[in-house]
Order: sequence, then C-alpha cells, then structure tokens
Amino acid sequence: MDTGAFFAILMFATAFLCLMAGFPVAFTLAGVALLFGGIGIIATNAGVGDLAMDERVLTLMPERIYAIIQNEVLLAVPMFVLMGVVLERSKVAEELLETMGQLFGRVRGGLGISVTLVGALLAASTGIVGATVVTMGLLSLPTMMRHKYDPKLATGAIAAAGTLGQIIPPSIVLVLLGDVISTAYQKAQQAKGNFAPEPVAVGDLFMGALVPGLLLVFLYILYQIIYAALKPEAAPPFPPMTDRAEERGALIARLVRALVAPILLVVAVLGSIMTGLASPTQAASVGAIGAIMLGAWRACPPSDHQAYSKGALILAVGAIALMSLIVLGKLTDLSANGSMVLRSIGFLLAVIGGTTIGFAAWRLDRSKSLRPALTATVTITTMVYTILIGAALFSLVFRGLGGDRAIEDWLGNLPGGQATALLVTMLIIFVLGFFLDFIEITFVVVPIVGPVLLGLGVDPIWLGVLIAINLQTSFLTPPFGFALFYLRGVAPPEVTTGAIYRGAIPFVIIQLATLALIAAVPALATALPNLLRAG
Amino acid sequence: MAVRLLRWLEAINLAFGRVAAFAALALVLMQFALIIALNVFRIPSIWGQESLVYINALIFLGAGGYTLLKEAHVRVDLFYSQMGERARAIVNLVGVGLALIPFCILLWWFGIPYVVAAWQNLEGSRETGGIPAVFLLKSMVLVFTFGLTLQALVLAIRSLMTLSAAKPGQDASEPNEMKP
Repeated sequence: MDTGAFFAILMFATAFLCLMAGFPVAFTLAGVALLFGGIGIIATNAGVGDLAMDERVLTLMPERIYAIIQNEVLLAVPMFVLMGVVLERSKVAEELLETMGQLFGRVRGGLGISVTLVGALLAASTGIVGATVVTMGLLSLPTMMRHKYDPKLATGAIAAAGTLGQIIPPSIVLVLLGDVISTAYQKAQQAKGNFAPEPVAVGDLFMGALVPGLLLVFLYILYQIIYAALKPEAAPPFPPMTDRAEERGALIARLVRALVAPILLVVAVLGSIMTGLASPTQAASVGAIGAIMLGAWRACPPSDHQAYSKGALILAVGAIALMSLIVLGKLTDLSANGSMVLRSIGFLLAVIGGTTIGFAAWRLDRSKSLRPALTATVTITTMVYTILIGAALFSLVFRGLGGDRAIEDWLGNLPGGQATALLVTMLIIFVLGFFLDFIEITFVVVPIVGPVLLGLGVDPIWLGVLIAINLQTSFLTPPFGFALFYLRGVAPPEVTTGAIYRGAIPFVIIQLATLALIAAVPALATALPNLLRAG
Repeated sequence: MAVRLLRWLEAINLAFGRVAAFAALALVLMQFALIIALNVFRIPSIWGQESLVYINALIFLGAGGYTLLKEAHVRVDLFYSQMGERARAIVNLVGVGLALIPFCILLWWFGIPYVVAAWQNLEGSRETGGIPAVFLLKSMVLVFTFGLTLQALVLAIRSLMTLSAAKPGQDASEPNEMKP
C-alpha cells in the first residue's frame, strides 16, 4: 500500500474515533484534518515513503469558505428550515396531527396512519429527524397509549414517520445531497473528458425522490392496515371527541386551517419546483412566507371572536392579493412597457400583500413564536454550514494525502464492477449512519465515493435516492438508529426500549425491500425527473 | 470576576445571534420580493440577487460562536449523553484545546492575509450592477473566526470551572432540542 493511502485511512479511522467522544462534529473534523495535515507535511519533508503532500493545501481554506458563501444552491437551506420551524413552533403541525387523528381516529389503526401522513407532510419541510420524532412522539404517543394501542405498533409508526422527512421532498437532506452529487457528477464527467455535462440540479433529485417517498408512505400505511386487521386489539379506533361539539362552520374553518392549508402549502412549494416555475431556493422562500401566514392565522385568538375574524380577514385579503398579483403578472404585461393602469393595480396588490406579510410576522411575534423560530433557524443553519466548513478542511487534507486516489483505486477495481462498488458503498454508509448524522455523511463520505461511482456509470439521481433511503433506513435500525434514540427520550417509561426496537423492525424490512426494489428498478427514481426534463 | 468576563464575552456572541435572527427573516423577505419583482414586474436585480448571498453569510458566519453558545453544533452524543458533568467538561476542554483553537488559529493565520488582500484593492463584484463589496463579504471569514474564538475561550473557562468545582455561575445557554 502506498504511504498516502495508509495515512488517509488512518485519518478516517482517527476522525471516526474522535467523533465518538462527543465534541461538536464540525470542529472535530477540522482538528483531525489539522493533525494529519501537520503529519503529512512533516512526513513529506522527511521523505517518508512516497508521500507528497503539498504544504500549500491549508492556505486554501479561506478560499474554500468563500466558495461555500457563494454557493447559491445552499441558500435554500435556511429558508426551508425557517418554513419547517415556523410550522412547528406556531403549532400548525400539532393541529394538523390532532385534526387528522380526529378524522381517521374512528378507523382501526387510523391514528397510526395519520401519524404517517403528518410525518410525510411536515417532515417534508424540515427534514430534521430528531425534531419530527420528538414532536410526534410527544403529541401522539400519549394519545395512542391512552387508547390502548400496541406500544410496538405506535412507536414503530412514529419513528418511521419521523424519518420520512429525509426522503420526501423538499427535504434538507436532498438539497445538501443534490449539491454534493452535482459537484461529484461534474468531476466524474470531466475526468471522462466531457467538459460540458448536463448538470444535475437539486430539483431533479427532488423529483427522483418523490415516487420512492410516496411508495414508502403507501407501504407504511398498508402495513398498519394489515396489522390492525389481523390484530384488532392492537390498534383500536378511538371514539369521536364529544366534549368538543363545534358548530359546523367552526369545524369546517378548522379543517381548512389545520388540514387543507398546510397541504396546499407543501403542494404549492413542490409543484412550483416540479413545473420549473421556481428554483428550490425561490420555492423555499414562498414556503417560508406561507408558513408565517399560516402560523399567524393559527395565532389569532379563537376565543376572541372579533379579533379572530379580523385577523383571519386581513390574512385572507393579503393572500388573495398576492395570488391575484401573480396571476395578473402571468396573464398581462406588468413591465414598464405595459399598460400604466395595470401596472398601478399590480403595485397596489403588491403593497397590500407586503403589508399583510408584515402583519403576519407581527402577529406571530406577538404569540411569541416568531423569535424562537428565527433563533432555531439561525442555529440549525449555522450548524449545517459549520460542518460543511469543517468537512471542507477535512477533504482538503484527505485529498492532499492522496486519499481520494486510494479510494478510487480500491472502489474502481472491485470484482463485479459497478454493482459491487455500489453495494459496498451502501453498506459503508449504512453502518456509518449508526454513528454519524446525514450532514457529516453527505459532506465527508459522498464527495469521496461519489465521483468514483458516477465515473463507473451510476446514474446521479438514482445514486442520490439510494443514499437518502439507505440513510433513512439506518436511522431507523435498532439498536443504534437515531430516530429510536430520540423517541426513547420522549416515550413514557412504561414503553420499554425492547418494544421500540421490535416496533421498528417491520418498518426496517419495508425500507430494505424498497431499497432493493429501487436498486433493481432504477426507473422508479429516474423516470419522473427525465420525463419532466424532456417536457 | 471570571463570571463577569464570561458574561461580557457571551454578550458579544448573543448580539451576533440577534443580528443573524433578523437576517434570517430578511433573507426570506428579500427572496420573495425578488421573485415578485422579476416574475411579475419584470424588474431584474443583480444587486438584489447578490444581497441574498450577503444576508446568508451574515447568518451562518456571523452566528458560528452563537451556535456554540446555544449548544447547537451537533455532537455525536452516543456516549456524550451518558457522561457526567466532569467527563463532559474534559471532552470540551480537550476538544477546544486540540481542535477548535488550532482551527481558529489556522483561520486567523491564512484568513488575515486573504482579507487584507481583498481590502487593498477594495474588491468589488464580478458582475456589472452587483454589490461592490466583495471585500466585506470576504471579511466575514474573520467575523466567523472571531465569534468562534470568543466562544472557544468561554467554553474552555467554563469547563475548567466545572473541573475545579467552582460555581459555574449563571449559564446563559439553554438546551436546544432542535437536533437533527
């Protein structure tokens, strides 16, 4: 083995061990990189083996950070995070879960099914496993236990639903993965001499993940229906709440607010990306604004009838103004060349819309949920970016030692070619998923193995979807899965850890089956993006 | 005495955090305004588009230290969550000394010449109509380093205080449950 490869492997092992100590990931990666950067430079000067590390690699660090600043794809991260956090903090998510539970609760297994659906809808906006599992665990587990749900079924459904946010677009995982894979794909194509490859966009990965994601939701629900049919006592229906007799009108208003509006919001965000109307970043900002308005609607006090109607009216007028503005802009020419009258109407609508957004932000702030949401957005975004910075230093040194060439030699020359290389990579990622978060794996592992696999002819979107589902499965697998840890943290003591583990296993089997299916039929992931690209 | 110093140091990062929170809201509003301006009124704005990059940099580079203060830089907490207070203090002290401070030194060492070079020719945007302040954007690298260095010192002092069993004083950080 050549000396560089030896040091590179040692570096990886060291990083892994040091991470286990529990110091923040971003800085641990940077620290290990510095250690091995130092070793590499000293060893090169001392002429150890055939090591040839350029001592200038470390000087590139500020330039790397500047490149991260300029990455416009990642702008979607803070906006999607804001959207998700606002929905969570303003209790829109909570109300959605409650309302769905009431709708489906009368059916056997209905409560578990509504957990799956809410997970699919809302996790979609944050993609943060811990937050989703904790929220849903706190909200629905007590209700399910009270109605004598089988703890295994209840915890399995919650943990699995929490991980759906990884795969169902628009998730942060897919944004980060899309960015990394797109870079890796360009590298792989350039290595082949193709200097103008068709770029892989984050939107393509969103579309690629849509069918597999919905398939998972379908299978989760199917499993719960079958389980409830075979063991009726495990998932009893729960009686409609009699103490909350509402007027018909109030009930409809609540359904619209709690159910229809959040669904419309997510569909609008996804739809505008799918149809090419907006980039993921643009759609994310629309989603965040929508979330603020929804949150404000939720924050209007229902007890004070007059104030509630007034607030809801203002928000409705603003939303209608904004929508008509967009339609008007599509149908007519509002540019400086167009009619003065239409342009004035347009500006008026814009002012009304803008004022309403301001009102919504103010309303949300008064209910004490805007500032915590903004703070959470800042810390989550910074956490993601700081790992990216730490991982950038790590990759600089790893490449400087020749680690990328070592991996390429090894992965590229496995017997069985592409299939084996892919399988080995998937296994490595699966095991790493027990210990590391998706951010570290995406920023550290994927840039190293990605170009090799893509160079072997693996489809980039297929690869992205496989990695995402693989990680999701890993997070759900006992005994190390992250989702299970988080659920353990919020589950009442009478729910045993054994029950949580056993409850997760059927969902892990569903995951593995889906993973195998997509591995066997890549079209499940690639057909939709190709269709949309052609169209 | 030490507690007062810590409060002072943390106040700086808390201020950075407030600016970043404001920037997060501004980012979303700006992007939305740009969509309306471009798609409805056909007013393209390179300046506006570039401002998003500036605002975003203000968030994630401005709040590096703040996020550490809020205990929100993700950790692999498989073992860390099981540890006692003293063991955690040791992890943090060793981590600051061997990883975080060396990282900050690297960023100061190579960052200062990098930023000075950008200031010397008051580097502007490559696009015509862009924001002529790339030198400010590049300076954010040092703002990040500054915030991190401050908070690294705070974390080290706090860990030392825990280890010497001195009363650590009022902890300004609150647990953040938003871990991915």
